[in-house]
Amino acid sequence: MIKIKNLHKSYGDIQALKGIDIEIKEGEFYGLLGPNGAGKTTTINILSTILKPDDGEIFINGFNLKTDAKQCKNYIGIVPQEIALYDDLTAYDNLFFWGKLYKINNKLLSKKINELLNLMGLEERKNHKIKTFSGGMKRRINIACALLHSPKIILMDEPTVGVDPQSRNLIFEALRKLHQQGTTIIYTTHYMEEVEKLCNKISIIDYGKIIAQGSINELKKLSKISESIIIYSDSELKEKKEIISNSIKIPFDIYDNNIKFYTNNINTDLSKIINEINTIGINITNIELKKTNLETLFLELTGRKLRD
Amino acid sequence: MILLALKDLKLFITDIKAVLLTFILPIILVTLFTIGFGGISGSRKSNPIKLLVSDQDSTEITQNIITKLDSLKELDIEQLPLVKAKKTIKEGKRMAVLTFYKGYSDSIKNGGQVPMELFYDESREAEIGLLQQALMSNLMGMVGQQKIKKNIFNLIDKKNANLSPALLNKIHKQVDEQLADFQSKDKNPVTQGMDLKMTKLFADEEPNWALIQAVAGVSVMMLLFSVAAMGATLLEEKERGTLKRLLYSPINPLKILFGKMLYTFLIALAKLSILFIFTWLVFNLEIFSNVTALIILLIATAFACTSFGIFLAAICKSRKQVESLSTIIILVMSAIGGSMMPFFLMPPFMQKMAMFSVNYWSIQGIYDIFYRHLPTINILEKSLVLFLIGIVISLISINRYKKNILKVA
Repeated sequence: MIKIKNLHKSYGDIQALKGIDIEIKEGEFYGLLGPNGAGKTTTINILSTILKPDDGEIFINGFNLKTDAKQCKNYIGIVPQEIALYDDLTAYDNLFFWGKLYKINNKLLSKKINELLNLMGLEERKNHKIKTFSGGMKRRINIACALLHSPKIILMDEPTVGVDPQSRNLIFEALRKLHQQGTTIIYTTHYMEEVEKLCNKISIIDYGKIIAQGSINELKKLSKISESIIIYSDSELKEKKEIISNSIKIPFDIYDNNIKFYTNNINTDLSKIINEINTIGINITNIELKKTNLETLFLELTGRKLRD
Repeated sequence: MILLALKDLKLFITDIKAVLLTFILPIILVTLFTIGFGGISGSRKSNPIKLLVSDQDSTEITQNIITKLDSLKELDIEQLPLVKAKKTIKEGKRMAVLTFYKGYSDSIKNGGQVPMELFYDESREAEIGLLQQALMSNLMGMVGQQKIKKNIFNLIDKKNANLSPALLNKIHKQVDEQLADFQSKDKNPVTQGMDLKMTKLFADEEPNWALIQAVAGVSVMMLLFSVAAMGATLLEEKERGTLKRLLYSPINPLKILFGKMLYTFLIALAKLSILFIFTWLVFNLEIFSNVTALIILLIATAFACTSFGIFLAAICKSRKQVESLSTIIILVMSAIGGSMMPFFLMPPFMQKMAMFSVNYWSIQGIYDIFYRHLPTINILEKSLVLFLIGIVISLISINRYKKNILKVA
């Protein structure tokens, strides 16, 4: 559906993109994960044709973005980072205006607007001015504006910034529905929880380069750090090191008041460890599970946190 | 207290707009008005008043007077037949014609009332005041001198008929010199009873030139302020992010600019139309006297002002910049263009500069319609200039728009 080959972009001396290669298949929910300034928005702006790359090629549904920009635009719906709406117009009027830019006939457009307002849970507010909406409601209308021409691909540039939990869940629900209907979604964010919840394929981007690519499980496998189970206790642990070693065949370390077990499968090893520890007679005061996630993976790959 | 004052001063200095409006704008305006009213260097150097003269008498005496008038630094004389001269004044190209009627020289010789008349454009009343002063202090002196001289020569010739022509000429010369000396010391005695008949050329139609000046001057200036604000909505779109979203859509980026221009143009045209309808209803301005010309002129004015508004938006980076820059440019343009001070009061170089302002062409066009009652073809000329100004500014705006505004990413 989308092929990005060797994409380069510089702003003066700053190299924003240093040769990005991405291939996104039809129907994928693709996450572009990276910290602020990584190159996510630059990639989205190039895909949306408002920014020209210095080098590289992009094909959307077989069309070259450079030579067939108009056809490409009809395939894409873009949700910008900003809430790009007219505050003094109603939700319906905003949607109508943006829809008319795609030359949709009035009857079809009206029907589509009502569908999208329903999808976003804002049908009852359709005749209210945008300036009376909460931040989350505005975000939902902002997303709806990108869906009016029923695009096959949706580019979303951090669409949940500053959104309340209720709106966030409504947005996620709407996106899942769209994904189920076969829409290809490219979702940029620096919230790894969102990517883990929504995306089935991810690229981690940092300093204008893709540093990892694949499904969540594939990425987790890249991590050299195993998951861990930490058992806290008020018993004297160091004396029982040998007994633990003999009864639980899982590598571990003993510290002052806890034992840290290194595992690749928390789900199966957790009950086994708890049973054996109880049998040995160690009093458990607390249990902590440390799973590998995208945040830890990013830290491992780049040496810095995702939200730095 | 001092700390608070210092903080406010620091904030004030960082606000370029406030600094410009507080210090630079008054300086610019004071400079313009000073130059405009001729107050430079403490001594006022008045510009020569361009006066038409129609000599229907065509005698040595009238030609001498015309030559002497032309030699005065405060007058610039051009001779034309009366009909043509009146037409030129009605077209607003000159302000008055001094007419020497047939029998002028005879009446000087015979000592009767001299048949001369000044036809003038009432809309330039203040300028006419200066002209009248110049004529009273020079022309009347010359006329009076001629009259007295002629009477004295006649008397000398009559009483001394036996003297030789050469001796009589010598006496004439001496009298001439003494009279010149006498005139330079006291002009009043010879000007008594020498009234200059003053006639308004537009008397029959009685147009209210003050109303026309007010409507023309204020409407264009206020329109420029409002189109600048409307043009700034382009930058508002950029700041809000809606411009970016517009660029995502399949429409041509230039259509965004043209759409904004169309909106500004329609509002500008509506504003002008409402203003003229108001002056018709409340002040009885005859807007239907040449409605075709008025519509053409209003369209041209709205277009030129629109292009100016879009130009400001295209060259500025933020709405705040537009506000600061537009205030300065519009006030300067209004000052030199005739919205804030009468055009004739300006020195020649400012009058030339005025031709680069939208105000000038629009105001003169409005005068042509309502005051001079010129035919539509004459209005077309000024409308065409306004259209050309609009086209040139629009082309520059399109260029700037591509380079500045479209860089949204």
